[in-house]
Amino acid sequence: MATKKYWKGLEELNNSPEFVQNAQNEFAEQVPVEQFLGDSNLVEGNGTNRRDFLKFLGFSVTAASLAACETPVNKAIPYVVKPEEITLGVANWYASTFYDGNDYASILVKTREGRPIKIEGNDSSYVTFGGTNARVQASILSLYDSSRLTGPVAKSGDSWTPTSWSSVDKEIGGKLAAIAAKGGAIRILSSSIISPSTKAVIADFTAKYPTAKLVTYDAVSYSGMAKANAQTFGEEVIPSYNFDKAEVIVSVAADFLANWLSPIEYANQYARMRRVSKQNAKMSKHFQFESNLSLTGANADERVQVKVSEQGKVVVSLYNAVAKIIGDSTLSSSALGCDAIIAKAAKELTEAKGKSIVISGSNDINIQLVVNGINTMLDNYGKTIDIENPSYLHQGDDAAFADLVAEMASKKVDAIITYNSNPAYTAPASLKFAEAYSNVGLRISFADRADETASMASYICPDHNYLESWNDFNPKKAHYSLSQPTITPLFASQDSGTRQAQETLLLWSGNTTDYHSYIQKVWAERVFPMQGKYMAFGEFWNNSLREGAIEVGKGGEAAEGNMAMDSVKVVPVKEASKKKEEKLDAIPVAKKIEKINLGDAASKIAAIKGGEFELALYEKVAIGNGNQANNPWLQELPDPISKITWDNYVTMSPEDMKDKYNLMQRQDRVASVVNVTVNGNTIKLPVVPQPGQASGTVGIALGYGRDKAGKLSTQTSVIGQNAYPFVSIVNGTMMYGAMDVKIESANETTEIAGTQVHHTMMGREIVKETNLEKYRKDPKSGNYPEMMHTHNGNTVNPATVDLWNEHEKLGHRWGMTIDLNSCIGCGACVVSCTAENNVAVVGKSMVMRTREMHWLRIDRYYSSDMSKAVAEETGEGAIDMYLDMENPSSVNPKVVFQPIMCQHCNHAPCETVCPVLATNHSSDGLNAMAYNRCVGTRYCANNCPFKVRRFNWFNYNENPEFAFNPTQDDLGRMVLNPDVVVRSRGVMEKCSMCVQRIQAGKLEAKKAERKLVDGDIRLACAQACPTNAIVFGDLNDDNSAIAKLRKEDERNYFILEEIGIKPTVSYLTKVRNCEETIEEGKMPEGKSETKEKSEAKA
Amino acid sequence: MDTMCIKPQKQFLAIFSLLFSIFIFNTSQVSAADGEKIFKQNCAVCHSLGKNKITGPGLEGVITRVPNEAWLAKWIKNNAAVISSGDAYAKKILAENGGAQMTVFSDFSDEDLNAVIAYIKAPPVAMAATATTSNGPQTTETPEEGVNPLALLIGVIAFLIIIVAVLRGVRHSLKNLQNEKLGLEEEPEVGPWTEFKKWMSTHKRTTAVIVLFILGGLVSSGWYALKDIGVYADPAQNREYNPEQPIAFNHKLHAGTNAINCQYCHSGVERSKTAGIPSVNVCMNCHKGISKGPTTGTTEIAKIYDAAGWDPDKGEYNKPQKPIKWIKVHNLQDFVFFSHQQHVKVGKQDCATCHGDLKEMTTARQVQPLTMSWCIDCHRKTEVPGMQDNPYYESLHKKLAEKYKGQPITVDKMGGIECGKCHY
Repeated sequence: MATKKYWKGLEELNNSPEFVQNAQNEFAEQVPVEQFLGDSNLVEGNGTNRRDFLKFLGFSVTAASLAACETPVNKAIPYVVKPEEITLGVANWYASTFYDGNDYASILVKTREGRPIKIEGNDSSYVTFGGTNARVQASILSLYDSSRLTGPVAKSGDSWTPTSWSSVDKEIGGKLAAIAAKGGAIRILSSSIISPSTKAVIADFTAKYPTAKLVTYDAVSYSGMAKANAQTFGEEVIPSYNFDKAEVIVSVAADFLANWLSPIEYANQYARMRRVSKQNAKMSKHFQFESNLSLTGANADERVQVKVSEQGKVVVSLYNAVAKIIGDSTLSSSALGCDAIIAKAAKELTEAKGKSIVISGSNDINIQLVVNGINTMLDNYGKTIDIENPSYLHQGDDAAFADLVAEMASKKVDAIITYNSNPAYTAPASLKFAEAYSNVGLRISFADRADETASMASYICPDHNYLESWNDFNPKKAHYSLSQPTITPLFASQDSGTRQAQETLLLWSGNTTDYHSYIQKVWAERVFPMQGKYMAFGEFWNNSLREGAIEVGKGGEAAEGNMAMDSVKVVPVKEASKKKEEKLDAIPVAKKIEKINLGDAASKIAAIKGGEFELALYEKVAIGNGNQANNPWLQELPDPISKITWDNYVTMSPEDMKDKYNLMQRQDRVASVVNVTVNGNTIKLPVVPQPGQASGTVGIALGYGRDKAGKLSTQTSVIGQNAYPFVSIVNGTMMYGAMDVKIESANETTEIAGTQVHHTMMGREIVKETNLEKYRKDPKSGNYPEMMHTHNGNTVNPATVDLWNEHEKLGHRWGMTIDLNSCIGCGACVVSCTAENNVAVVGKSMVMRTREMHWLRIDRYYSSDMSKAVAEETGEGAIDMYLDMENPSSVNPKVVFQPIMCQHCNHAPCETVCPVLATNHSSDGLNAMAYNRCVGTRYCANNCPFKVRRFNWFNYNENPEFAFNPTQDDLGRMVLNPDVVVRSRGVMEKCSMCVQRIQAGKLEAKKAERKLVDGDIRLACAQACPTNAIVFGDLNDDNSAIAKLRKEDERNYFILEEIGIKPTVSYLTKVRNCEETIEEGKMPEGKSETKEKSEAKA
Repeated sequence: MDTMCIKPQKQFLAIFSLLFSIFIFNTSQVSAADGEKIFKQNCAVCHSLGKNKITGPGLEGVITRVPNEAWLAKWIKNNAAVISSGDAYAKKILAENGGAQMTVFSDFSDEDLNAVIAYIKAPPVAMAATATTSNGPQTTETPEEGVNPLALLIGVIAFLIIIVAVLRGVRHSLKNLQNEKLGLEEEPEVGPWTEFKKWMSTHKRTTAVIVLFILGGLVSSGWYALKDIGVYADPAQNREYNPEQPIAFNHKLHAGTNAINCQYCHSGVERSKTAGIPSVNVCMNCHKGISKGPTTGTTEIAKIYDAAGWDPDKGEYNKPQKPIKWIKVHNLQDFVFFSHQQHVKVGKQDCATCHGDLKEMTTARQVQPLTMSWCIDCHRKTEVPGMQDNPYYESLHKKLAEKYKGQPITVDKMGGIECGKCHY
């Protein structure tokens, strides 16, 4: 048997003594436990055994806990010389202005101990009316961005060398002089500039260097509109729109509530026409024709899905429909699927002649010409559309930009200065900007960081953040505002640090005036004469600065003609006074509205051909055009529609996705990845089903894929993909879409971090809804409570049943009401809440685990095709019915938004389950949360019917996994609100109803020895809201707005009232101005109505 | 550290009382002492007692310069009147000082004027000098006499142990003696530990009870020790927190002797949640003129000058500023929101309620524990003095009075002990 010997190796064959010894050991080598436990000396000695290890462990734990017990010695270091205006612990407020070349908002900046911590809307502005949006709210964090450059840098070889301003000025001054001497071209490439002083500075610069020219380029351009207006009205301007006067609004793919032109202004105006009450049961009617489901489309009364290529045709058809009604000549058009609704819109428009608005989000001159034609027919100019008082917010000239790039490519430009503009990232791929840019000899950037364009420059001369700067603004005619420094520049230093771009330009043009005095000079010469309120300039200046925003020409004696800031041609200050007289004549007193031939435009529109898939590029509410891509607050803000964070993606109609891509149904977070190709450019993105997306179209958000935005792109990975290369230039204007897109599966999947994976209300009445007609008949329509069955077969209103005793009505009783008719779902409140309450940023991986920390979220629900009524009719079983209910209607669902924060239930389920009484009820009706008492059982979150309680799974403030959190950065930490605790791991948190603001407001009243007045306390969310949808106040004060509202408004309701929790937060029923309400709302309402009646009979 | 800073105060007291007892026999000195207070409160901001000019001229030898004492009194009381009367000397000094008029002190009584003139004439140099010679805040004192109860206890125990050991030896010897007598085998020497173990094994129940008692004691003392974490002071244990400060600021002198209002320096107390530690420029308001104090002479004030960058010789700020790193005495945890304005302005509470009588302290020391139970105790006991007259509380007060008929309306009755009032 044992004739053959098998051996494993020569060692076994030779049977050496070492082998024999080793063979007896089970493991070939000793497991090197000691080595990885640390000390190598221990290995040589006795070695640690388990007992030693436990001893060490025990000792170190004891030592650590003993060390922690020692009372720390804290230092208190007062100022040596305290600035007069600072009282420690008391906030100072400064009026200022936010404008980044895209969004404009007049703001108030709250500073504590010299550092800005919060931005709020400025109520005295007649442009933004105290509203803000998410991007404005989050801009405070961009101040404390540690990716900002701390001083000028010059490129040497491939690397950057920090340099000083004196040497930069000398080098650049010399080079510019040399270029000017030989007649070489100098170009300033900037996004829209609405600052009269900055324009004057540039004029001074061009006076010094006559070969210099300003080219204005906006990443998201409205050039087509301005060009169309030039044809219609003879002036290249963009008018002001008055949505507050519009009874009928038709928008063709213009997202005017979130992005289009001046969204904060329009949201406020729009909401004013949407607010209904018994006394004033009127609201505007809003039609939206679009491809992507936009925020504006989600709020529309009638939303129609059209393909991108059809948008122009819709406008032409609308023109014809209106023309037919009012008896005007029509244009050639082809039949569309949505002609019926176009006819309906045309009927409503003509009925509201002079009180309607038709707009288009297209940048196509022809489409805009036809839109102008419609508005002219409807007599809207001078009424709802103010072409006399144009808006200056968007002055980009696409053709000029394309020319500049061509000029650069052919090496005709010797120096280029980029200001507030990042074309290497935003320019269409077809222009090959990067290549052209590197052809320019002297490349100067004023960017605050080495972004995509600046990183290719020869010098970066970083500009101050807007919160560190002086500036002036002229957002629209007769409206001026100022920004003032709210903090000493963070990187201030003698000869290094950041420097205001305007000051830099002034120095290069040989002017040593500081920009502050320069602005004063400009204002003294130009703005001061336009008003008649103040006699002395000093007084005028101080008041303007205090107010932040002013409107001139109204009530003042100055002639109307005086006040135009010429936004197209600018003259240097020195010559301004000379030119003023000339300008007086140049201003057209009344613009002639010429009837131009639209036949040509219509035939060009008719020639637009669509493809199998068409692409509509859009801006997200949070990221916008991408200039704040390094802002973690914005990255974590869920998109209002898709509820997805930290990504861009391809939105596609679920119908189109069927059988091809993962439909992400039933809480599925896994998305298929596709390759999207337009004109030879391909990007790889996940594809997400978007109910309401027009079939045959896809949407991709701009502003993502920034690899040089700052540290965020290194801390996570580059977020999303850049879709700007897909922009093309058609007829001299940028087209934000493509008519033929190739979409192929990449045979990959990826995970998507959405905050809401359940999209419907499952037949429950969480958002109550009615339509205007029903509301007029019965103000309580849509708001009948779900009745409760009793043992004797009767039904009873659950609000009247109570297990507990009612709370006493002493002192205050805080309450909040949210008007779902005014809420547009924009998310400004979410960012405002984050800033006010030091809410942590958790990142994509945590959002995927549903661990986002937002105290306030906005739930978005789609309507579903399935309802209990439908199931009853079709005889579908309950399980199938509920499964079907989960799916939103794939074709054009209705959308509702509902801000949800802690409802501060009077009989709060969370309070009864807390084993340590960390959450309990205060006498003024708040559900308080004592963090330092919380032991983290999470019972409360389990018991909360609203899922508003957020648990700190990690120490987001220290754990390096979450390095993107502002609290982990020495600079970012400065944004924290010192009146609110920064929570640590293992602690539950939730909306406190800004208790710090409540306490502060009460204290002010107590100190002043007066009663608390309604409006003394404004919560962070209510303050930020551009539409004033949130009302907060004292329910025990009979004179407060909220008490009246609760008493008188039939639309008032509480969510989940039927479970007896008695919430403090209430909502007002949504009223839509259309025939049908969503299916879900319809059925139970009908039923409960009958129940109510039967009860009444009984 | 504690003893170091408390003791010197006692020494000062001793010196003060000694000097004071000398002064009462000298009436002119008494008025000078009053005069000192008046001078420091009103004049010292602008005038020094030496030759150097601050805002106004130095007052050394002023009596010989002015026409007479009566003129000086008139001038101090209302210099504007003297000037307008056309007095030649008045005009001269007005011109000398660049036309800047002096503050009018019309509310000074004649006694005040006499006292302050007496003080200007003969400032008590001796007092300051005596105090300076002592070692200032670093002085240590020999420990107080008396027997420490703990030491006594340990002594007694040690004594008992010795007695037990001796008695054991004696017993063992006696036993062996007896054994020897009886012819039994000698009992081997057993160690006390072995014997104890033997006792334990035979008395298991007693041992268990004792062990349980000891364990219980340890746990409870550990529990109470944990409760002391972060508590700097506790009057129940006679424990105070009195860290050594970079400058030995004398509250007693400023707030007590010179009767400077607390709010002059802690100006945020009615306007903000923090009362605020004064910035150096507030110190300099007075100390521009006062470079020498009665207790520590120039040493401590020189530290202010150093921080402010003030050159007392040239009378200008020409040196770099150095912030003073005070040690925070009254520490509250970060998760507590406490507002001074709520308590002082609205609740009309006296500073001393929480901070102790600072008029009797040199550097501030924490005398109250500042624990939550201390806060709550106070809120349960305290009626809000400002409540009745404040329209803010009107309706609430009415409702509460109805609810708690006759009972005092304390802070807790209006929600003052709810979590959300301080923790957010």
